[in-house]
Amino acid sequence: MTLFGLIGFASPWLLAALAALPILWLILRAVPPAPIRRRFPGVVLLLGLKDDTQVSDRTPWWLLLLRMLAVAAVIIGLAGPVLNPNEDAAAGTGDGPVLIVMDASWASAADWRTREAAVAQILGQAGRAGRPVGLLRLSAPETPRFQAADALAARLTGITPEAWAPNTDLLPDVQSVLPEGRFDSFWISDGLDRPDRAAILEVLEDRGTVTVFENTRAVVALEPVVAVDGALEATTRRSVAGDALNLTLAGHGTDPAGNPAVLVRVPVAFEGDATETVTQFSVPAELRARITRFEIEGVSSAGAVALPDDALRRREIALIAGREDREGLELLSPLHYLRQALSPTADLLEGALTESLPANPDVVILADVATLSAAEEDALLDWLDQGGLLVRFAGPRLAASDVSRDAEDPLMPVRLRAGGRSVGGAMSWGAPKSVAPFPDDSPFHGLPIPEDVVVNSQVMAQPDPTLADRVIAQLTDGTPLVTRKPVGDGQVILFHVTANAEWSTLPLSGLFVRLLERLAVSASVSQPLPEDLEGTTWQAQLVLDGFGDPRDGGDLAGIDGPTLVSAALGPDLPPGIYQGEDRALARNVVTPETVLAPTAWPPRIAVEGLSQPRERPLGGWLLALAAVLLAADVLASLALSGRLRGPRATAAGLAAALVLVSLATGVARAQDAGDALALEATAEVVLAHVLTGDARVDEIARAGLYGLSQTLYFRTSVEPADPVGVDLERDELAFFPFLYWPVTASQAIPSDAAYAKLNTYLRSGGMILFDTRDADIAGFGANTPEGRMLQQLARPLDIPPLEPVPADHVLTRTFYLLQEFPGRYAGRELWVEAAPPDAQLIDGMPFRNLNDNVTPIVIGGNDWASAWAMDETGNPLEAMGAGFSGERQREIAYRFGVNLVMHVLTGNYKSDQVHVPALLDRLGQ
Amino acid sequence: MTAEVAQLQRHAEEEASRFPALLARAEHLAGTVLLGEHGRRRSGQGDDFWQYRPMRPGDSVRQIDWRRSARSDDQFVREREWQIAQSVLVWVDPGASMRFASDAGLETKAARARLTALAAAILLIRGGERVGLTGWHLPPRRGNAQIERLAQMLSVEDTDDYAIPEARGMLPHARAIFISDFMSDLAPIEAAMTKAADRGVRGAMLQVLDPSEEAFPFQGRTIFESVAGSVAHETLKASDLRDRYTSRLNARRDHLRQLCRVTGWHFHCHHTNDSAQSALLWLYRALDGSHG
Repeated sequence: MTLFGLIGFASPWLLAALAALPILWLILRAVPPAPIRRRFPGVVLLLGLKDDTQVSDRTPWWLLLLRMLAVAAVIIGLAGPVLNPNEDAAAGTGDGPVLIVMDASWASAADWRTREAAVAQILGQAGRAGRPVGLLRLSAPETPRFQAADALAARLTGITPEAWAPNTDLLPDVQSVLPEGRFDSFWISDGLDRPDRAAILEVLEDRGTVTVFENTRAVVALEPVVAVDGALEATTRRSVAGDALNLTLAGHGTDPAGNPAVLVRVPVAFEGDATETVTQFSVPAELRARITRFEIEGVSSAGAVALPDDALRRREIALIAGREDREGLELLSPLHYLRQALSPTADLLEGALTESLPANPDVVILADVATLSAAEEDALLDWLDQGGLLVRFAGPRLAASDVSRDAEDPLMPVRLRAGGRSVGGAMSWGAPKSVAPFPDDSPFHGLPIPEDVVVNSQVMAQPDPTLADRVIAQLTDGTPLVTRKPVGDGQVILFHVTANAEWSTLPLSGLFVRLLERLAVSASVSQPLPEDLEGTTWQAQLVLDGFGDPRDGGDLAGIDGPTLVSAALGPDLPPGIYQGEDRALARNVVTPETVLAPTAWPPRIAVEGLSQPRERPLGGWLLALAAVLLAADVLASLALSGRLRGPRATAAGLAAALVLVSLATGVARAQDAGDALALEATAEVVLAHVLTGDARVDEIARAGLYGLSQTLYFRTSVEPADPVGVDLERDELAFFPFLYWPVTASQAIPSDAAYAKLNTYLRSGGMILFDTRDADIAGFGANTPEGRMLQQLARPLDIPPLEPVPADHVLTRTFYLLQEFPGRYAGRELWVEAAPPDAQLIDGMPFRNLNDNVTPIVIGGNDWASAWAMDETGNPLEAMGAGFSGERQREIAYRFGVNLVMHVLTGNYKSDQVHVPALLDRLGQ
Repeated sequence: MTAEVAQLQRHAEEEASRFPALLARAEHLAGTVLLGEHGRRRSGQGDDFWQYRPMRPGDSVRQIDWRRSARSDDQFVREREWQIAQSVLVWVDPGASMRFASDAGLETKAARARLTALAAAILLIRGGERVGLTGWHLPPRRGNAQIERLAQMLSVEDTDDYAIPEARGMLPHARAIFISDFMSDLAPIEAAMTKAADRGVRGAMLQVLDPSEEAFPFQGRTIFESVAGSVAHETLKASDLRDRYTSRLNARRDHLRQLCRVTGWHFHCHHTNDSAQSALLWLYRALDGSHG
């Protein structure tokens, strides 16, 4: 029996029981609710009171209605109602075998569940009619075997779409696999037109009726993402124009910690009548390199996934310079020429080494970086082992350092001789050297050498047995210009000249760019032709299944190069990423050539939608409804008779309250201690000292800096706040212009991370005053514990060459004119960054134009903190010398402190004051 | 039992500690003349200074206050104020009807009544009064030992539903405190009050009720039973009885109030969902005599 053709009943005669409902109504209404026994002392006052009416409280009508509904729901539920009863389906009528033909391509993967449901429905109908069923998948044609419908139904979930489309010339295959005899066909189409559709349809129609099931929804496909002018461009297409459609394109990859993550999301919008939309978006290069696949979110189909290969990548190059704070001196910057040469073809990362390495750059260029901390060195070596390319340029620092002097540094290709050499200068014989022609085995072989490339200075390699193998470019006198050494899977290359034009004219010439190109520092990649790949074999790394889910392709056989780029996708060539010798190629499901058009079926063919209403038994729902109604009846009855009070009501209320309370709970956020330090340190100038762990030393250091701060406050326009002690392991150093580091014999060596922080601090213009407090370091003697400790502490630091403060150093005149720098001891010399060898004394100037920068390191042993230390009221804490001379020494110590802080804060400004007379002269003219 | 007594005592002491010492004002003096700290505004045998008066013939020389006399030419005698102690008799309903609380969060009426009574007793004893129970079991005495005995006697429970006030053993002109729900017959209550009034006993009558007894929040078919089960009443529609019950309760209360007014007593109705302190405060004022 059916009701309006919408609901049918399995056992309609049960509905007769509904007639009993009115009787039940009367009975329930007549029976009063059971009495409650209550203890009540006031009962004596009730004695003798008569009820007004002899009829008890009637059960209220709504409660009766509730019970009636519950009973009615039980009756109807037991009668077995079914929504959308399907009583005349095609597969249920007729006889003979049934063949289910599925395209089972990537285009049908997006709504594969509905296709499965359609197949299940056909199977169910065929099973009830007792017809055998066979299955043919056009994307992988095999001879179908007719079998009982439920046997196939059990296998149904194992049938999945393939990641490719059926062959274009499918007809012979189909003809060969079709079974003998007549059968009715049900074709589950993926909705895309293919050239041989009509032919196959004819073949099937010869054998029996054909019904086509097709989804009316458009198939969405994503073409490979290409890089255009630095931005990424994704073309999304759909088979049928229709309403405006908004989708999201997601780029998946790994985050720096290696976990899978969505790195970029871009909205993709189809206009109402458009079948194609182009989305342009830009992604930071560092992210772009990590993207492993693009996909249209919510469309689980291999056609909605685009795999990027090397063509999308720009090489990432990390540029690291020793010091980079030469404001305004762009042409002298060690990185300037590298930037110019590399930025058109590569993405440059500039920053600290420890920050760049996690981004896994292809190349790291160190321009005149001598010393690396142990952590940086380990990280670089790991990266090199995995195939990194490290390019180093020499420079004054490298020449002055001890790196690779006695033993070969793992990060240097050769050992270096001390000091390097200068040729062709005023003080040397000989002419500047030019570059010799590149030998046959050099990667640079064949590059023309311009006449004007000359080398004035270079670092010299120690003659070693391995030296000859490692030289890949040399000067005309046979000294190496470029050397190379393999490290793990990667290699280290050293240019024996600077990356700027100081030592040679090489960076000024076109040869420089070509050298870098040859070193694959700035390689460009384009799609290869089949002929280029002749004889190569490619191994699948990652392949897609029909739903667009990636899986490892390592178990697949190698693919011939020409086949890889020319053959159609199929079981032997699934879409995925294929790795060759030096590059990776992606084969995507959808290419710009893929045709997306809806199939035009002949009018004689019945085309049915996939989303037919399913039969849905309602009995369970009705019985559940009855149970809910009865539960409500229990509560209502309790409430009516006054029993829903006290603990019961409390329990019910509690349950509701708990939900509310849990929602309203807020999480208090603790104040971040780091933020507090940053605020404190940046609101005003703050002097800082390194905490050594020795309470006495730390206290003196704090008091000393306090005294110095007070002195600065009273005498200069620098008005520092109270000094702070910094913990190298924990605190950020960037906020402090000046660090006072008292060296104690017992202090702990900072961790690698702390050294990385310190090196960054020094490279970015910070200053550290090392104080061994033993009045002895000036002799560089290691005969005090503090002196030895200082050597240990400073070894991993990137410290430039040092020299005793020359008499014309800017430190002697930034505020006071000083010639000595006493602390509590009137010790000997103070060591600062050495002046460049070419610093010259200009006539009429009081001092040479020395370092343009602030010396990053000042080393001494005069225990300045003790001399500066004062308590809150300004009284000195430590005794100094005897009588007036002691006080005079303390005064000079303060003056030194003032000069030092002025030097830190003003940089080369004070040094530039030298030029004031000359400038005034010029203005006067 | 011991633990219960100890707990009752502790609670009562907590309640009592919140009050200043209660000095019941004796209005009358009669045979119950015992020394205490109640100023009688006349000279007598107290400890506190009352006045100096010029020496009169007949006063012994020992009575002269030499320090005062030395400041003038006359001799003065120092008189002390006459002080007495009052006897207070307590009756707390031991009936089963008191052992009722409509909600688990509320005290039973009996607990509240005992607590209030004992707190008042402690206050009185601290103030120097003698406190006892009506009847013959515990005559009025002073001291902490009496507090313990009171606590013990107050904890005795009766099995009957409704107890009638004990008016025997009342000292003439003493003060009395009756605490009950006064749900029993009115006739014995009236008799007890009359008897007390005859002896010149005045006092306070505190009716302790559960909030449900006041509000009668019941509905539907209900069988009401007394606590001990001696009385029962069935109704088909409890909500219909509410008005009539309330009017009966109010009538009874008015009757009691009227009775008190006639006999010079104070009447107050206390609900267990109010704080015990309000009941104690009322008792304090009623016995102090400063109100009503």
